[in-house]
Amino acid sequence: MNRKNGITVCIIAIIAVVLIYAQSGISFGDPVYQDMDQYFLLNGQVQTGGNNICTDVVFDFRAFDTLGEATVLFTAVMGVIVIFRRLMKGEEYEAE
Amino acid sequence: MKQSNIVRITADIMFPFIMIFGAYVVLHGHLTPGGGFQGGAVMASGVVLLLIAHCDKDIKTLIPTQILKNVETFGLLLFGLSALAAVILGSGFFTNWLVNTGLLFGTPVEYGPNPGYLNTGGVIPVMNIAVGLEVLAALSVIAVIMFRSTEPDCGGEEQ
Amino acid sequence: MIEVLQIIILIGLLLTAILAVLQTDLLHAAVTLGAFSFLLALEFYILQAPDVAIAEAGIGAALTTAIFIFAIRAVGRKEVTS
Repeated sequence: MNRKNGITVCIIAIIAVVLIYAQSGISFGDPVYQDMDQYFLLNGQVQTGGNNICTDVVFDFRAFDTLGEATVLFTAVMGVIVIFRRLMKGEEYEAE
Repeated sequence: MKQSNIVRITADIMFPFIMIFGAYVVLHGHLTPGGGFQGGAVMASGVVLLLIAHCDKDIKTLIPTQILKNVETFGLLLFGLSALAAVILGSGFFTNWLVNTGLLFGTPVEYGPNPGYLNTGGVIPVMNIAVGLEVLAALSVIAVIMFRSTEPDCGGEEQ
Repeated sequence: MIEVLQIIILIGLLLTAILAVLQTDLLHAAVTLGAFSFLLALEFYILQAPDVAIAEAGIGAALTTAIFIFAIRAVGRKEVTS
């Protein structure tokens, strides 16, 4: 094993030790800060009228994120059309 | 590469059921797990199944791409306009302006378990439908364009 | 009982991930990645996140595999080892 591989193994070992140490301090399913999710669970159903709290958060409390996601998808479609336009065989590419 | 009869007929039979399940996930997004993005992805996977099974036919007549592009634009516009309507009605952007009004999707809900009434949720079902249409059309358009631009010789033998 | 199922699913995740790297036939590798996504969706469902499970099953197991198959159809099926 040469010097470069030794350094790589050392870095991987350090990262593994840090990750295992960080994971051992957090209990699963019991977050430290619970104010916001308790608010959502207690008031979300009455305020938004939906039973599914996930959809309530995504489409009502955090709707700006959903707007960003929809915009990203639209931009992705435009990029795919622009990149693949010349590759389409037998395809007229006039402006649509 | 021409698919066998089993693949094509199975895809034809499965396609309506996949689309109905996706529409169910979208329309019941505020009651059961799922939502616009998930239901749209399920419906787009149905379109992709049809695309893979019928690669030897004319894709342009099977799946009209221009209609899908218009549907995508319509979905994004519906999403934005249903958010802007709250501003017009005098409250903030993305305010839930249909909830607890008694109008469409406006039945009030008590806290606690209920059997799940479809006519609740305010503006959330409208946004679910908008995002569902947009995701369906966007992923289908991406798949169709990648399919058409990578075909070597449909019907020929691949090496 | 649920722990046994989780252990089986996690071992299956590791196996499919390693197999997807080791395959030389690219079509087999794409289908193995689809199986990986499906097992991951099952794991999400067991961990009580059905929203994420539906999204993972729709995107990962169906659409990504289909797009990989389109790409493989264009570039050829066998991996070229130089």
